[in-house]
Amino acid sequence: MNSLGDQIRAYLPYQRRNAASLALLAFAMVLTLSAFAEVGLARDGNIPSGLFVYGGGLVVLAMAAYVVQAKFAPYADPLLLPLAVALNGLGLAMIYRLDLDTSRDHKVAEMAGKKLISDEANAGGQLMWTFVGIALFVTAVLIMRDTDRPDAKFSFTPKTAQRYTYIIGLGAIILLLLPIVPGIGASINGARVWIRVAGFSVQPGEFAKLLLVVFFAGYLVNKRQAMSLIGKKVGPISLPRARDLGPILVIWFFSLGVLFMQKDLGTALLYFGLFISMLYIATQRVSWVVIGLGLLAVGVFVATQLPFMGHVNQRIDIWQNPKPYFDGGCLLDSGKVVPVNPDTDLYKQAKAAGSSYPGFTACDKLGGEYSDSAQLMKGMFALGEGGVLGTGLGQGEPWRTPLSFSDFIFDSMGEELGLTGLMAILLVYALIVQRGMKTAVAARDPFLKLFAGGVSFVVALQVFVIVGGVTKLIPLTGLTTPFLSQGGSSLMANWILIAILVRMSHDARKPAPQAIQDEGMTQIVSTR
Amino acid sequence: MDKPIRRVAIFGMLLFFGLMVQVNYVQGSQAEKLRTDSANTRQYLNVFNNPRGQITASGEVLASSYPTGKDNPKYGRKYVDGMVFSPVTGYFNGGASKVELAYNALLSGTDKRITHQRWFDMFIGKKPEGANVELSIDPAAQRLAYRLLKNNTSRRAGAAVIDVKTGAVKVLSSSSSYDPNDVAPQTGEQGAKKLQQLDGMRGVIQPLIDNGMSQTFPPGSSFKTVVAAMAMDDLGMSSSTPVNTGPLILPESGKSLPNSHDSGSCGGTAPMLGAFAESCNTAFGRIALDAGIQKLHDESSKFGFNRKWNIEPMLKPAESDVPISFVGADGNKVDTGKDGTARSGIGQENVRATPLQMAMVAAAVANKGKIMQPYLVQKVTTKDQSTVYQADPKLFSQAMKSGTADQLEDMMRAVVNEGTAKNLIGQGIAGKTGTAEQGAGIPNARWFVGFSPMNNPRYAFAVVTEGTGDGASGAGPLAAQILAQVRK
Repeated sequence: MNSLGDQIRAYLPYQRRNAASLALLAFAMVLTLSAFAEVGLARDGNIPSGLFVYGGGLVVLAMAAYVVQAKFAPYADPLLLPLAVALNGLGLAMIYRLDLDTSRDHKVAEMAGKKLISDEANAGGQLMWTFVGIALFVTAVLIMRDTDRPDAKFSFTPKTAQRYTYIIGLGAIILLLLPIVPGIGASINGARVWIRVAGFSVQPGEFAKLLLVVFFAGYLVNKRQAMSLIGKKVGPISLPRARDLGPILVIWFFSLGVLFMQKDLGTALLYFGLFISMLYIATQRVSWVVIGLGLLAVGVFVATQLPFMGHVNQRIDIWQNPKPYFDGGCLLDSGKVVPVNPDTDLYKQAKAAGSSYPGFTACDKLGGEYSDSAQLMKGMFALGEGGVLGTGLGQGEPWRTPLSFSDFIFDSMGEELGLTGLMAILLVYALIVQRGMKTAVAARDPFLKLFAGGVSFVVALQVFVIVGGVTKLIPLTGLTTPFLSQGGSSLMANWILIAILVRMSHDARKPAPQAIQDEGMTQIVSTR
Repeated sequence: MDKPIRRVAIFGMLLFFGLMVQVNYVQGSQAEKLRTDSANTRQYLNVFNNPRGQITASGEVLASSYPTGKDNPKYGRKYVDGMVFSPVTGYFNGGASKVELAYNALLSGTDKRITHQRWFDMFIGKKPEGANVELSIDPAAQRLAYRLLKNNTSRRAGAAVIDVKTGAVKVLSSSSSYDPNDVAPQTGEQGAKKLQQLDGMRGVIQPLIDNGMSQTFPPGSSFKTVVAAMAMDDLGMSSSTPVNTGPLILPESGKSLPNSHDSGSCGGTAPMLGAFAESCNTAFGRIALDAGIQKLHDESSKFGFNRKWNIEPMLKPAESDVPISFVGADGNKVDTGKDGTARSGIGQENVRATPLQMAMVAAAVANKGKIMQPYLVQKVTTKDQSTVYQADPKLFSQAMKSGTADQLEDMMRAVVNEGTAKNLIGQGIAGKTGTAEQGAGIPNARWFVGFSPMNNPRYAFAVVTEGTGDGASGAGPLAAQILAQVRK
């Protein structure tokens, strides 16, 4: 086979790049420690004690991860670990910085005898989850064996998952449905994507994302031959056979289900986009992409027409013109959003009637649900405040945006690190995605190719949906920003994702097994 | 499968490219718009988060910021003798007035002159500190002036003293006044309400409007200085030219324009110097009639009447006027007729002037006809003592010929030595009295407008107080005391 991967392997013999990896890791640590130092120096002129706890903690964890990677996956892509550590470290520094402000708000509120409803940035918790995340990375790299030695005892490789394709698919669906189950499902900040387990809030969707990639990869590897068969030809596009349309319709209904039940356009977009891209990789048929995009358009159109799907409309209305809803928007049952801001008669009437929250009262009178664009606009104001160079870590006021430490952490970064910092962060993400894609190209097995490609693309898509949302490029939906957002589920899932890529890149990049030359001219046959 | 993977990889890059374009658009080109968005409360909150520079006068700190120890506002603003200095310093409560407004960008540290100089601080994220503003005001004289004005009348009073050589304003005093401490950031809601209440006052006493440069009064006989300058510059007269001081019948109404007394110089005919010294209305009414209202309007314009001008950036004194026409009670435009012209010649009818404007008239007399551009701020220095702004004396206008100014100097000295202000002999000031009627039942505006010392004058001044009696006794002694303090 004269594939690109073979060409790369033929002309560029892979080497261990552990020294490069270590140097980059050291740079990621310097970046993180500097970020912590700057927070302290800017706020009170001292190196903060958090530098030793949080920065030091991260350094120890990252070094452990490096040692394991160097020992057990020495041919792994040298960039993946340092990039993930840099993002994790920057996110931790930002959460630490936000924690200093929000916990102070908390104390002030406590002294005044009030209880703050909004949850707050929690640097200690994030450090703990970072620890768990990196521990999972270490474990995953340790237990996963090289794919070309499936005969080893207790072998567990990325390819092992292929055997359990349908069980994993079922698992993904169960995880996705868990938040809707009464009792363990929990609604936090209006989104029903959480479950409560032993006192912790877990976002099963983050893990389901990984399982779905495995399921899609396993399924498509089996069915890709059939699905790439050509049926009718319409114009320039070769349509697939009608009987092969089944799977894509199932996923489509499934995504619509997510959209309807969780009222979450972003997540639906993420799953469906992931499936289409993997379908395209597996079949090489552009027609699948066209069909997929058509189905997506139909789905979104239907969603905007259904009255009970007002959330989608509202997000779109707010995205197009957030201003009228800044001080108050009201989502009616008909799916329309009307402003109830202080300039409106409704607001004035409610105020004249003596209401202390005229916007809410006015919306109640209309029988709608209060929702405003304040969060999005405050995030945008944070970006504006940052400008090109940013205010500097610890010197802005990113805590003025609600959820500045999770959904809106990208805007918080934008305020304090500026356009310059955001470009760097986006480049880090882009590099992770590209290294993942390169691993997919270099992989020797179709399942692993799909697996690596899907995992890389899901990162790109997720970053696009959330970052595009908070920068008003597309309507806002709440997804986590990989490695930056506060939250254990997201950190754990993403560290596992990096571990899988590290293991697969090691597999792909290591030299082919050497022939044992004691039997004369016997040619070694590929073990694939 | 490598080809589609590469295509998906490229698509992934396009997604990132889209994000990068959007972030560049938002933070690069939209940043300023977002920062000043009307819904963005950060722009109002931030003003209390950093200390502003000080406002000082002769090295004495008049306004300064201090940490409140609270979150909002982080910094309060303290004014020393707020009632005395508020006509110059103004207030700051997020919004601002007077010097606090005119020099806001420098005081808050956002001015380009500071940020460009401190670009390295900006780069390492250090916020530039506000600069200190040094006023031209003489604090001791300003204090004395406020005390005198306040004790003199329960109604309005104002005073202005200018250094004639430079234009530096030494005193700009007002009674009524207000204390900017009452509306400073640390007062919060209460201060905002207080400010609203002060702003809403519609009676005679409006504390936010200072009577030194923001309020006009009829200048009365003190305006004869301008008329005399016109007579000598344009009508070929001199201080010794005999003028008719006898009774004057107004041409339109047939009523007479009265003199305060019909004896002495006002008894029929006198040199202009005598008519000026004894303030004979009829003589100056006749000069105004001879010249016509247009000429009088043009002459007064040379002194700064009839237009708005900036004393400091964004800070304009009230417009002093010698109107050719005015809008009557019925909303129609009415020309100033002959009677009105004659009455304008003695600073009545619709002629109005701020004390600062009349001090500028006196400054022209005392400085060979030249008025220097008045200013309130001497210099602005950053925290590291480098000067970012320095007042640069420049010509405001050549209001009259140098010879005319010399003669008017003599005439003003004659007012004190032999005319209407003999009560001020030996006090080192010369000037022109004015006693303007403001309508039935309203106290007179009593003026004394002149210069000091008597010879080689250095300061020009104008003092106005409202009350019964005349300018010589109602304003003259105040001016003498204030100028004695300024000369120290």
